[in-house]
Amino acid sequence: MTTKRFILNASRSSKQGTLINVGKESEEYQALTNTMTMAASDMAEIGLVAGQAALVRTEFGEATFTCEAGKIPEGMIFVPYGPPTCKLMGGNTDGTGMPMSKGWEVEVIPL
Amino acid sequence: MGGKVTCTLGEVKQRADFIVYWGGNPAECHPRHFTKYTIMQKSKFLPRGRKDRTMVLVDIRETKSAKAADIFLQVRPGKDFELITILRALVKGQHVGDAQIAETGLTREVLDDLVQRMKTCKFGCMFFGMGLSMTRGKHMNSAALLTLAAELNAFTKFVAMPMRGHGNVTGADVIMRWQTGYPFGISFNRGYPRYNPGEFSTVDVLVRGDCDAAFIIGADPGATMPQPAIDHLKRIPTIVLDPHVTHTSRLARIHITTAPQGIAAPGTAYRMDEIPLPLKPALKSPYPTDEEVVRRINQAIAQKPFWLPEGSQPQMLNAQV
Repeated sequence: MTTKRFILNASRSSKQGTLINVGKESEEYQALTNTMTMAASDMAEIGLVAGQAALVRTEFGEATFTCEAGKIPEGMIFVPYGPPTCKLMGGNTDGTGMPMSKGWEVEVIPL
Repeated sequence: MGGKVTCTLGEVKQRADFIVYWGGNPAECHPRHFTKYTIMQKSKFLPRGRKDRTMVLVDIRETKSAKAADIFLQVRPGKDFELITILRALVKGQHVGDAQIAETGLTREVLDDLVQRMKTCKFGCMFFGMGLSMTRGKHMNSAALLTLAAELNAFTKFVAMPMRGHGNVTGADVIMRWQTGYPFGISFNRGYPRYNPGEFSTVDVLVRGDCDAAFIIGADPGATMPQPAIDHLKRIPTIVLDPHVTHTSRLARIHITTAPQGIAAPGTAYRMDEIPLPLKPALKSPYPTDEEVVRRINQAIAQKPFWLPEGSQPQMLNAQV
């Protein structure tokens, strides 16, 4: 178990946009929104290998993602928006009407 | 300073020789933007197309859009506001300390070069995405960038434009704006529009549990909003109009399948530069349009007796009169 903290950014991809027309309940869409990408060095540091599941936890909730390595700066994680990222998002908008949907500080626990 | 110095995408296509994408990944999220409007098009004023244009990408990571950029600036996460403020100072020739520049993850040489290019281009345009508007600082980041664009007009023509996403999200803002004077976060519960983001905005209303019913047209908050808001949608009667079965449909009491706009239903869509474009349906659909469903619901409600005793008004309206 690790206590290293990461910055998680929810984002979109062209593949996700295409898969919306296939259906959000399709296996491909579900797999995409349940996959997080991070730097290979970060994965090695916390003992994660590609394809392994990890629990991602914020102060608001937690969700499980499959991990893959990508060209991501160290200390950051990218995940396509979807139901799993909703579980990590807090409801406070700080009076702006917009919740913080990027830049969450998260804990990653290999499963 | 307020407001937005902007233009249409047609002007960008014809004239913009300096393009900045800030906190956006158009190669993935707006795949036709490069080729139709910004960097690839040849025009009367930029006859050599890509060779006549310079593109800068500002982001926290090297996305697919970086391959298309002439200059890629990797800003430290959460430091966009600081970087914009530094650029505003440098544009005006004011002193900025080395420590302040180092905080952004960039160097003085890179920023001096950027400022020089911004001030000497003929027509500059900054497009900003959710990487700027939805990170720490939120609307203050957007306001800072719009101010930078406005201030650059002391030297050359410079504009800014948000990279709007989803089908016709700009249309919703534009229509609400000309009908009520406000773009979003509006309450009609006193019989007239009131605007207060953080109080009347959708996420806040749902998270606080203020509403006891929800009517959702062409959106999927069940897959995008914070979990406390989704949980409230599950608790209350939620009605969804959508061509597809979405996550929100699954938690709603009623899902009405409607014809997809622009494919099987006519209408008007607003481009990200707020230009309205008529939509002509190419196919026929067995399903009704969103407009038809809303009209029929309105008719059904109009036939019902008024919900308060005859002659009385809601308490709030009495207080205002």
